[in-house]
Amino acid sequence: MGREKDHLGLVSLDAPLISNLSVLSNIALIKQYHGRLSVREAEDIAKMYLTKLHLEDIATKRNPVLLEEQRFCVMVLRAVMVENAMVVIDRPFKIMSDLDDTRFIRDVLTSVEDLFQECHVFDYLWNEKRYAGGMIHGA
Amino acid sequence: MTAVIEQIGRSGLNAARASRDTLTFAFRVLARMFDVRAYNSAVRKVLINQIYFTSVQILPLFLAVAVIFGAIVIGIIGQYLIHLGLFYYFGQLLMGFVVTEFAPFITVLLIALRSSSAINAEIAVMKVNKELNTLHVFRIDVINYLFLPRILSGILSVVLLSWLFSIIVLTSGLIFSALLFDMSINDYVTVLLVSANFSDIIVMLVKCATMGFFIVMIPIRYGLRATDELTSIPISVLHGMVNVFIAIMIIEVVSLIVMSLIKKLI
Repeated sequence: MGREKDHLGLVSLDAPLISNLSVLSNIALIKQYHGRLSVREAEDIAKMYLTKLHLEDIATKRNPVLLEEQRFCVMVLRAVMVENAMVVIDRPFKIMSDLDDTRFIRDVLTSVEDLFQECHVFDYLWNEKRYAGGMIHGA
Repeated sequence: MTAVIEQIGRSGLNAARASRDTLTFAFRVLARMFDVRAYNSAVRKVLINQIYFTSVQILPLFLAVAVIFGAIVIGIIGQYLIHLGLFYYFGQLLMGFVVTEFAPFITVLLIALRSSSAINAEIAVMKVNKELNTLHVFRIDVINYLFLPRILSGILSVVLLSWLFSIIVLTSGLIFSALLFDMSINDYVTVLLVSANFSDIIVMLVKCATMGFFIVMIPIRYGLRATDELTSIPISVLHGMVNVFIAIMIIEVVSLIVMSLIKKLI
């Protein structure tokens, strides 16, 4: 359990983005703290993946002004910054209440699939139909 | 009668427990302060930001207060000393009262009013928003990442701004003594150097560092006491700030006792 905890990258409203940090700093924080990278190195990595998700415009914004989808993407990017990340997504439809199915989640995870080892999604049973299209291989 | 005694006992025990918890927390933070592994680029970034918020943003207000209060205090002290025929003690009053007592007290008061309350509210909001939970989930030590840089910035700010306050007051003293008391620069500097006491300056530095430590650590502790409800934020700030002022008073009294003991020993 201890090893899994070391690699846990949680995407959940119970682990929100730090509101007094920008999107870029929220993502870079993990590499700065655990990877012991400099601010510039960590932010360069964060910028690269934000650009990959076409979210470079929100790099300087803070949590309260983000759209639900943007917030989800930033939370995923932060989670995959953990070394050999085991991403756990907790009730994604609670994070993005307007989403009908898993296509968006799948696309986001596919964009960063080189950064995580495994991904687990937890949700209520009554949301089962929304997962009809499946998730991502290995997820 | 028994109920009253029980109530006093309960209050006493609560106060003792709270003091013990605060001191235990203070020792934990102090121990971490000397652990090199606690510092990384994330912590350094927070430290720089905190120094900017605590020491730099306050500068315009701080300089204005230092000039105004300094001029008033030096003017009044000088006039009274001349009136009483004790102008010989002008230097001792400047060094003994203004530099070692007045400057740290005004500095710590300004920083407590501005930064301690902000830090208390910030930590309480983070607790309510579950952001502390985020740090826990991502194995980011809250003492290292959140508390240490804020406390270090508090210590540095109080020490450096106290020095700045003293320099400004002594400079305005120079101007006042030349204008009002016909004192030359040489005489003024000589009076100050003769009155300067090394042990007083050391006690002042230690006092400033101790005050800087506690006026940030206490708000952090009270911020952590916030519950999950938004209404707990103002309550935690209220309790935190009251305790900050109690701590300032205690440190002032203890430093006065230490200073008088040192003088007796010397």
